[in-house]
Amino acid sequence: MKSQAVNPDLRGKKFRFKSEWAWAWLMVAPVIIGLIVLNIYPFIDSIIMSLYKSQGLGPAKFVGLQNYVKMFSDKQLWQSTWNSFYFVILTVPVGVFIALLLAVLLNSKIKGRDAYRCIYFLPMVVAPAAVAMVWRWIFNAEVGILNQMIGVFGIKGPNWLSDPNLAIVSIAIIAIWSAVGYDLVMILAGLQSISASYYEAAEIDGANAVQRFFHITVPLISPTLFFVILMRTMNSLKQFDTVYLLVKQTNPAFKKSATLMVLFYREAFEKFNKGYASAIVMWSFVIIMIFTVFQFVAEKKLVNYD
Amino acid sequence: MKKFLATLLTLCLLATMCSLALAEEQITLTFGFWDTNQEPGMKAIAEAYMAEHPNVKIETQVTPWDQYWMKLEAAAMGGALPDIFWMHSNQFFKYVSAGTLLDLTDLGLDYTPYPAGITALYNFEGKQYAVPKDYDTIALAYNKELFDAAGLAYPDETWTWETLRDAAKKLTSDTVKGFGAPNDTQSGYYNFVYQNGGFIFEDGKSGFDQPETQEAIKTWVELMTVDGISPTLESFTDMSNDEQFQAGRVAMQFVGSWMMSAYTSNEFIKDKFDLAVLPQGKTRASIYNGLGYAGAATTKYPEVVKDFIAFCGSEQANILQAQNKAAIPAYAGTEHYFTDLFENLNIKCYTEMIEYGVQFPFSPNKSLWEPIEAETMTSAYTGEMTVEEACNFMHETITEIEAE
Repeated sequence: MKSQAVNPDLRGKKFRFKSEWAWAWLMVAPVIIGLIVLNIYPFIDSIIMSLYKSQGLGPAKFVGLQNYVKMFSDKQLWQSTWNSFYFVILTVPVGVFIALLLAVLLNSKIKGRDAYRCIYFLPMVVAPAAVAMVWRWIFNAEVGILNQMIGVFGIKGPNWLSDPNLAIVSIAIIAIWSAVGYDLVMILAGLQSISASYYEAAEIDGANAVQRFFHITVPLISPTLFFVILMRTMNSLKQFDTVYLLVKQTNPAFKKSATLMVLFYREAFEKFNKGYASAIVMWSFVIIMIFTVFQFVAEKKLVNYD
Repeated sequence: MKKFLATLLTLCLLATMCSLALAEEQITLTFGFWDTNQEPGMKAIAEAYMAEHPNVKIETQVTPWDQYWMKLEAAAMGGALPDIFWMHSNQFFKYVSAGTLLDLTDLGLDYTPYPAGITALYNFEGKQYAVPKDYDTIALAYNKELFDAAGLAYPDETWTWETLRDAAKKLTSDTVKGFGAPNDTQSGYYNFVYQNGGFIFEDGKSGFDQPETQEAIKTWVELMTVDGISPTLESFTDMSNDEQFQAGRVAMQFVGSWMMSAYTSNEFIKDKFDLAVLPQGKTRASIYNGLGYAGAATTKYPEVVKDFIAFCGSEQANILQAQNKAAIPAYAGTEHYFTDLFENLNIKCYTEMIEYGVQFPFSPNKSLWEPIEAETMTSAYTGEMTVEEACNFMHETITEIEAE
């Protein structure tokens, strides 16, 4: 604005400049409106709701921070927070490592490479609910195929989905199985963007396969790897569907496998406690924020964008 | 040319709209309920009504129990309830107190043929908000094959808790458990509670602090945890009590009359089981409950909805639901249309038990404490809490919730 004020020659341009801005706003409007209506408004509404006591169909009552006081004194909240963390610990390192390993294998020239790529990606195209139903049968301790197979060796298989210490591990296995294909495709794309000349040069210098992997592959795909780890962590923190479908409230493993999202859902839609549920959502928001900040700090130190 | 085309198109549109308005007003109503087994019965009623009223179209919507109330709550808040829907005693107060139900007082219906208790369930401040649909009681189902193999006499009306436990012990083997005692209320420990002289909720008060209530629940839980005659909680999470009984892995269980159409269409179990009245404790009791047809206060066609609900309550509709194996109809004198369908089964025990039946406990805020009860009792089964602690906790929770 200032520069335009001192230079009258630009007046005509200023006008065009303005209309360009109007066009720009018009173009991004659908996204902005969508964001406001679907994300920002509900977010603010949740903050307000968390200060109210809202049960059933009656009007909500303002209670200040009472929901938060009640929430932080609830043992199950801390248990569920741990469950969510534990789930991230179980799924992210193992899941991403497997995906990386498979991606490197599928990037080499092996027979039937495309078929393998297809097979690994298949779980991604199946609806999560269907995945959960199939695994429920596999893990069924009474008649499931897994325990039948273990039974052949005369060992009684564990209660995969009802042993309090095992249920969350079983669910982590399902989560890794269904996500590995997506991560693999991402990493594969990263691998294929690495120029072959790096490897040729390294080979001439006498680097072996392991050295090549750690000194060329890992640094060059670190942006992809970072993205994959970030997405996987977010998704694991938000884990809901598989736990919800496989561990019901009468399951003895419920307390030790209910993630924060399951706890939220239960309060909001089973106990119809929407105010309290909003407070849980705020708590998960804080946790996800901490994770995100932590990861972006790590990104600056570890990721190589050159 | 363009103008001509545009005018032509507009004219076409207008003509269609006019012809739609001129035709007799076509009314579409939605009818929501939760039981797939009863879908044929509900469809038959809707079709019979549509045959008499060609301008009305009734669309049935089945939503499984777990999601039904969630969906209904969201619909109630958004003012988009189905025009007609099933109501349950657990949830009635919540919906009626929020003003979401259509007042059915002026339906001109004679309520004498229905069980008085069920009509009263859906009465709020002197007004009727749902028409009784059916009633159900709980009976003892047993696997005849397993009894024969163990050389035991079949259960009958002389049975007590002790006979049940003794028989179950004899029936229990490596592959079979004698009796299923799951974490269930209506087809579970509530029956024991009332047979022991206890109660769950009466006159605005929780009965979980009563020694009779606590003793009954303890006996029920210990059938699994101490006597070992029931499959474990872990086992029930992989296969429900019903599934285990139908698979021949459990020899006896308490089962509601609403399960009969499923049992008799299961090839594996249909010829192997029979029914008896519940064994008695200090006294006889069987939990009964009844559903109702309710209408939405927000419906666009209140008169048509009322007319259809009145039809649902008629003798004709009750016979239709009975003949389709839906449930025991609420209309007195039509029960036999249901019981006659089960020739080789002692199905009559369900209707006999209504004599000493106890209404499935309900309270204004039961929808809020019921999920907590399921969770708390799980802790009593796992031993995280004793049964007394769990009951006392429930007593405090219910007292607190109902006081608000």
